[in-house]
Amino acid sequence: MSKNIVWRLLRRNISAGQLAGYAIANLVGLAIVLTAIQFYRDVTTVWEDEDSFISKDYLIISKRVKGLGALPGTNDADTRFTNEEINEIASQPWARKVDGFTSAAFNVYARVEFGGNSLSTALFLESIPDDYFDVSPRGWDYEPGNNQPVPIIISKDYLSLYNFGFATSRGMPQISEEVIGMIPLQLSLSGNGRQQWVNARIVGFSSRLNTIAVPEEFMDWANSQFSETPTESPSRLIVQLDKPGDPEAEHYLEDHGYESAGDKVNNGKAAYFLSVVTTVVICVGVIISLLAFFILLLSIYLLLQKNREKLHDLMQLGYTPAQVARHYHLIVAGVNTAVLIAAVSVMLISAHKWNEPLQSLGLHPSSPLPTILIGIGIILVITAGNVWAISRNVRKRFFT
Amino acid sequence: MISSITLRRVLPHVFRGSEKEAPVKDSQIWVNEEVSFKRPGYYIIEAESGTGKSSLCAYLYGSRRDYDGEILFDGESVRHFSISRWCDLRCRSLAYLPQEMRLFPELTVMENIRIKNRLTDYKSEKEISDMLTRLEIDNKADITAGRLSVGQQQRVAIIRALCQPFDFLLIDEPVSHLDARNNQAVAALIDEEARAREASVIATSVGNKITLPEFTLLKL
Repeated sequence: MSKNIVWRLLRRNISAGQLAGYAIANLVGLAIVLTAIQFYRDVTTVWEDEDSFISKDYLIISKRVKGLGALPGTNDADTRFTNEEINEIASQPWARKVDGFTSAAFNVYARVEFGGNSLSTALFLESIPDDYFDVSPRGWDYEPGNNQPVPIIISKDYLSLYNFGFATSRGMPQISEEVIGMIPLQLSLSGNGRQQWVNARIVGFSSRLNTIAVPEEFMDWANSQFSETPTESPSRLIVQLDKPGDPEAEHYLEDHGYESAGDKVNNGKAAYFLSVVTTVVICVGVIISLLAFFILLLSIYLLLQKNREKLHDLMQLGYTPAQVARHYHLIVAGVNTAVLIAAVSVMLISAHKWNEPLQSLGLHPSSPLPTILIGIGIILVITAGNVWAISRNVRKRFFT
Repeated sequence: MISSITLRRVLPHVFRGSEKEAPVKDSQIWVNEEVSFKRPGYYIIEAESGTGKSSLCAYLYGSRRDYDGEILFDGESVRHFSISRWCDLRCRSLAYLPQEMRLFPELTVMENIRIKNRLTDYKSEKEISDMLTRLEIDNKADITAGRLSVGQQQRVAIIRALCQPFDFLLIDEPVSHLDARNNQAVAALIDEEARAREASVIATSVGNKITLPEFTLLKL
């Protein structure tokens, strides 16, 4: 009971209106910050999910083909990237990773047999490091010398072209991805005075790469066996962008006369736009929170000023500044905890509301825990600032 | 535990430059080479108003530092004592009755005393009641301090100052609003409490002196 005497003395002059004003202001600020962070996280968790509508942005760069440059018998060196050019691209701030496409320097024919009929066609093959694939199909591993079929990934567009362009117009059956995977292929590799048949199988479809890709291990082996010339420098590069849709990258390509067979260039722009909007929204929230922080400080300073005689008298009796300030610390901690709980609730409710539409887009909501931790962190910083300011203000009143 | 308080050439800042004029010139405390208060012992500092007696109390109690010279507790200068050290001294070694009493008007008499006593739990509720009875204000225990007369407030403030251990009791005009009979009662209570602690009492006075037995009189 006696403990409450000090509290009863000090709680006079506490303005419920001011505290409520602060609480609401800080709640609005913090709720905006947390909700924006959670929304951003929910929409971009899929950053890692390939094939999502916003994904890490990749650019496939090639040089513009000019005049007769690419006709048979002419020199195609103009469309190849030199090491210096590759290094320069790699050193750009917008580029996280750069690699070249390795193309097959030998002749490839593919043969399919079904029902006694055989279909064969000339083909090209390319390979890139595995990291760049948007799919990681089973059976992608390849070991030279092992008799297993060579896994192949082709562009999803090729299948669509066949299914919706070729097959429908010729009255041929449409084929699903699963069925294609079961069709045995045979590849004839020739060059450098040798020829060999290998079995192959289509194991996946990429929506990022418009090529026919084989594992690098196979390509290295095949080039060493059938190529007459040493491996040439690549004519196509794949670049992983640091930020999706970075306009800097676009300017660079324009300036150097490169072309991009952009993978989801527009989606990249959407992601870039989203990150800009989120940053703006978070900034607005932070500014509101900051203003609220100062409202609370002013309100507490006013309270301390109104109670200055009591504070002084209590310290005259032998109360330490800490004992006196503790009551104000408790007020601040209480209000801030309430604000945190309310802001987290707002964030969770909002997240719940947008989860359904997002799920229908095939996105999986991320865990709200990191966002809550951020909220706790912000409130801890604000509370620490308040507590420090109160202690300082009370101590200042000790010596008159 | 403080055994002696010594003042060396202490002068409030407001008196700077007027060392050769009254009241500083005639003072037995300001700018004196050395003035000591020892325990146990009773001291009455007689002063006219405006001579700085409340300032002296504030210097000794550590709430003001606007003086030249040195104040020593057992030979140690108090000028750089930390806030926490002062708080500790105010709970264990120094008791103080300010001239304006500084009771909390919205708290009752009993609460005003408890708010001090709870720091050290020095007195039991019974002992507090006994003191109230002795000073004839036991019937006011549950009345808010703001509704008391000044003389009643003075007695409550005295009891509050006694609710702690102390080596020195500083009382700033403790009986200015009391009649002779109440003066006697207060003096007897203070004498008794000081003896029990083997403590010193330093009282100031502008006219109405507290009737302590055998005191040293100093003119401020």
